[in-house]
Amino acid sequence: MNWNPERIPAAALLACLALASADAALAATVSNKPDGPTIRLFPTTVVEDLRQTSTVAREMETGLQEVIGRLDQQQQLYIDSKCEGAEDDPGCQRMAKQLGATYLEMLAIMEERLPDMEHTVNNTRLSLEKRLRSELGNKMTPWMLQETLLAGAPEGKTAPAPKLRGRSGMRLSERFKQYYQLVSTSGSRSDQSLAVLAADVYLDMEETSLLIARTREEIARATVMEQVNQSFGIVTPEMMEVVGGVKSILFGETGSDIQIAGPPPAQVEQAYTSPLQY
Amino acid sequence: MNTRFTLPVAGLASVLAAAALLASCATTPPPCNSPTTKNLSAAIDQVQTELLNGCEAQFDRYYDELLTIAEGDPKPENKRAFSEFLVWSKDQGLLSRRQAERYYNTYFNVKFVALEGDYNNCSHSCPRRDRVYLEMERELNAKERGLLKVSLDNDGYYRANELYQEVELVLEATCTACAAR
Repeated sequence: MNWNPERIPAAALLACLALASADAALAATVSNKPDGPTIRLFPTTVVEDLRQTSTVAREMETGLQEVIGRLDQQQQLYIDSKCEGAEDDPGCQRMAKQLGATYLEMLAIMEERLPDMEHTVNNTRLSLEKRLRSELGNKMTPWMLQETLLAGAPEGKTAPAPKLRGRSGMRLSERFKQYYQLVSTSGSRSDQSLAVLAADVYLDMEETSLLIARTREEIARATVMEQVNQSFGIVTPEMMEVVGGVKSILFGETGSDIQIAGPPPAQVEQAYTSPLQY
Repeated sequence: MNTRFTLPVAGLASVLAAAALLASCATTPPPCNSPTTKNLSAAIDQVQTELLNGCEAQFDRYYDELLTIAEGDPKPENKRAFSEFLVWSKDQGLLSRRQAERYYNTYFNVKFVALEGDYNNCSHSCPRRDRVYLEMERELNAKERGLLKVSLDNDGYYRANELYQEVELVLEATCTACAAR
């Protein structure tokens, strides 16, 4: 795997921010359900872990949002001043240094918040891991899993399910909206939603745990590198990439996923049930 | 003298010829013709005749040919036609009930036959996860044909497609959790 240390913060941030929306939605899913889940994927301890992760993630997000805003302005000023290709200009060097300083600030915030984040993410991951192994891994056959996933979705009437994985490039508020939409329809397909959500969040946590661990290892090195760059007043392409990446996470500016329209829904004429059908 | 010698040779030759003729009759396979019509109902009649005339070994080919014919005139009723054909095949002893079910459900049901199994996911599905995905992918292609192209059951096909993605996601997470024990 190619590992670019200067890109780690953006990747980790992506995963961390995704968590913020995921766990908030999960907590709501469970509390909104009147009957309680048949599959016990989210006992109180897991929900509590999720809530804790949500708080930590939100703190990190809030802290970063302000810095990102400043980075954005500084970057725009740098571009508007036509500093690209004019790095020797004293004014441009000053702007580059300011940009670098804000970048360092961002790294510092991440360094400060990451240990908390790592702790809560690992707690949640381990709790979910245990539940998934027990409820879906040991208590279910593949056929039962299939039946669970199909349960609740009435034949011939599928509600368009929000895409869960791969949330990069989407506006943060949109992610929240998607999860809330899922929560609001979960009453009719509770176990299915819970199983998919649990799997989704668990895999996100797995990735996040790994990214946080690697980010913590590399963040000091990235900071030193940027401090060296500061003395020359350079805006490196990697730095710009990180800033761009972070912007895309928070503001969804890279939404380049072109959606191709699906075929029209079928006419409702599927009453026939074969005697051979399972 | 000459005639006495010629007669047994001629007799022997004719006996051999007759034996060869009989042997060739016994081993000549039935032609097992493909249906010649584009009408599904008529094609099923033709296939049924062929199957009863010793072509049962060609069942897979005939099923595939019937699907191709049905693709030419897709409609929801085709589902019933295939079901009835498979029930007939079972009643004629050409297929076991289990085989008939598999033929039907692979193509015309949202549920995946590939997910049949009596053991739990940690011990059964996870060790052979890649094979499960591959079988599900193949089955999804069959469902695209049966549900979408033959029966115009778009909703059914999209549910199957969604189910495939969800199973993949949930199984991925579950198996990771199982492995972390």
